[in-house]
Amino acid sequence: MKFINPAAEELAVLRDDPLLSEQEFDDMPEVAAAVEKAAGMRAGRVYWRSDHDYLYGLELADLGKGRPSMATVYGFRDRYEPRPPEHEIEADLIDFLLWLAEIAEGIEGENIKKLIGLAKKYGRCNTGWPEGSVLRTPEDRFLNLPGFDYEPHYMEIEGLRMAYVEKGAGDPILMLHGEPTWGYLYRKMIPPLAEIGRVIVPDQIGFGRSDKPVEINAYSYKSFARWMRKFILALDLSRITLVCQDWGGLIGLRVLSQIPERFGRLVAMSTGIPYGKGAGSNEGFLRWRHYAQRQNYMDVPEVMQSYSDRCALSEGEQAAYRAPFPSAEYQAGAFTWPRLVPIRINHPGNYDNYAAVKVLKTLDIPVFLPWGDRDPLKEGEGALRNIFKHCAPPQPIADTGHYIQESSGEEVADHIRKWIMKTPLAKR
Amino acid sequence: MFELRVTPDWLLPHFPWEQHFLKVNGQHMAYIDEGDPNARPVLLLHGNPTWGFLYRFFVDPLTNAGYRVIVPDFIGAGYSDHPRIDSRLTLAHHIADLVSLIDQLRLRGFVIVGQDWGGPQGIGAALQRIERLDAIVLMNTWLYTTFNDKPLTPPWWWMTPQLPLAGSYFMIRNKWWSHGGVSRISKRGMTDTEARGYDHVFDETNSEQAVLCWPHTVPKRENDRGWGDFRNIEERLHELSAIPALLLWAPEDGNFSIQFAHRLKELLPHAEGPLTFDRAAHFLQDDRGPDLADAIVEFLDRKAGASL
Repeated sequence: MKFINPAAEELAVLRDDPLLSEQEFDDMPEVAAAVEKAAGMRAGRVYWRSDHDYLYGLELADLGKGRPSMATVYGFRDRYEPRPPEHEIEADLIDFLLWLAEIAEGIEGENIKKLIGLAKKYGRCNTGWPEGSVLRTPEDRFLNLPGFDYEPHYMEIEGLRMAYVEKGAGDPILMLHGEPTWGYLYRKMIPPLAEIGRVIVPDQIGFGRSDKPVEINAYSYKSFARWMRKFILALDLSRITLVCQDWGGLIGLRVLSQIPERFGRLVAMSTGIPYGKGAGSNEGFLRWRHYAQRQNYMDVPEVMQSYSDRCALSEGEQAAYRAPFPSAEYQAGAFTWPRLVPIRINHPGNYDNYAAVKVLKTLDIPVFLPWGDRDPLKEGEGALRNIFKHCAPPQPIADTGHYIQESSGEEVADHIRKWIMKTPLAKR
Repeated sequence: MFELRVTPDWLLPHFPWEQHFLKVNGQHMAYIDEGDPNARPVLLLHGNPTWGFLYRFFVDPLTNAGYRVIVPDFIGAGYSDHPRIDSRLTLAHHIADLVSLIDQLRLRGFVIVGQDWGGPQGIGAALQRIERLDAIVLMNTWLYTTFNDKPLTPPWWWMTPQLPLAGSYFMIRNKWWSHGGVSRISKRGMTDTEARGYDHVFDETNSEQAVLCWPHTVPKRENDRGWGDFRNIEERLHELSAIPALLLWAPEDGNFSIQFAHRLKELLPHAEGPLTFDRAAHFLQDDRGPDLADAIVEFLDRKAGASL
């Protein structure tokens, strides 16, 4: 386990939960000694980040024996938000116990291993999604999609099925959709870009053909970024040209900051990585947030048409956008996204984005920003220009708003294609 | 192992409603959920050392007026889990617990009614789900760290549990708050059965610990536990300026004098009231329950309505 020093600003927006408490070490001095050695102290707190990107703390207390006598494991969560699904915490705690068993290497360690084995065997530690906690949109909702007859591929990420389509060969062009759409949004851009690269269009968890956890607290900014990062690592993509819009960018840019060595170019449209009082606090966004949070069922075509000009959708296209969401139960992800956008200093995502931007500012990645000239998030373009050093000249897309892939897909694809052809990948 | 707590038979005449349970932040939260499930939900939030029983006079008037009534017990109180660890019982946790309930029940257009700790918990959670909030009613509570530009100085007896050694020892030993804490200051004079209604949820040994950890988290000065959480609420109260608000107050309350209401009114100038209720102490819902419920129904009918 790699211990870290989290920033005070990060700790301030989190709430601590004692998870494994008061483990007494007095009758296992070898474990106490090993823990002391690993933590580099016998009293105080050390922190680490789990496979789920959550922050944990191990608190050691020395009750006068000259070695750690007591241990408590704390989880640190979004301050006022519910905990993530219990199975993620349980999986992280099992990881901790395995680490403990590993460093102890004595009889006690074996006991801990046995305990974990037993716990798993008897199902006390539920590390998967419980029955009924994940919905999968019936396949027949996706029959006869106009202009989108790509064979879906599937991959499992943390027990969830993630869907994607791909076409073409060469360096990957990864296209990420946002709220409240799915990969279908990119249908007009796939054929032209597949001529110059391997186009990969995943559906975010909670959208499209991907699985949809029902619980709202299964979705966080962290979890979306984690799922996408694991998707990229599972396909072992590198030399990626990232094409992203709306939440596709909020997620994609976060992931770019986490594994920058895998990315070679960035195309960002109507998106950003808001922090501080950032893009999220503007009137238009707050109005959207209010609208979205009050809906019982969000009608996707209605949202698209009210936020973008020239988004006239045929009956079949409207059905395709509604396809992933047979009812409100399927929309937990779509419902959650608007309020995960950091709009306040003490919004937990705010610190993470601030940390991500610090990394993004150091990158030499070339950036292209096609932007709808009537996009309600117009100021987002300037914000990105302040972050990235190597931005191509502005490329306004005429007479359109937020969903330029729908209103002007062919035109946008053509601009991107030309830009990719003349722009070498970032040096690694 | 969690045992489902069931309302004992002797209490059913006073509290006949079915207890429901949900898991919030790893703990079982008990709540009652009465009235039309499609009507506007009204969340009735108690404080310390009480539980949903405090709102028993509110359930019928509100459901008869067409509202859906949800009365949760705080984690650490009532029929909810009683964790033994103080750091599981901070305001941040109580807020996150209520947010989880709001999410899981998918509440829309909800109303927060809060007294004592139910005020900061309810408003803290409402600020997290502000788009779904339609009205607030506050009674004998506080939401701020400053009072007339001076740091908040609570009455001295808030501090009794913090007196070195003697205070806590005395209170723990005699269950000074968890047993008899409500009936002792009742203005109306409650029956023994009603007093037991409050006390029996704290029959286990060491019950005073949960009850006493609340006053420890009343922040008096910067860096106190909970200070940042109260500051966060105080600084965001202006976001509630478009939400109909009502203040109901029992000025005879020894903890929250009418000055506390006036300070709330400064921070929420659009709020109606404070409407004052005499013959009532800190637990005004018990002393003047039906009258308060009528005032709330009148306010909600006028400002929000029972249908969504």
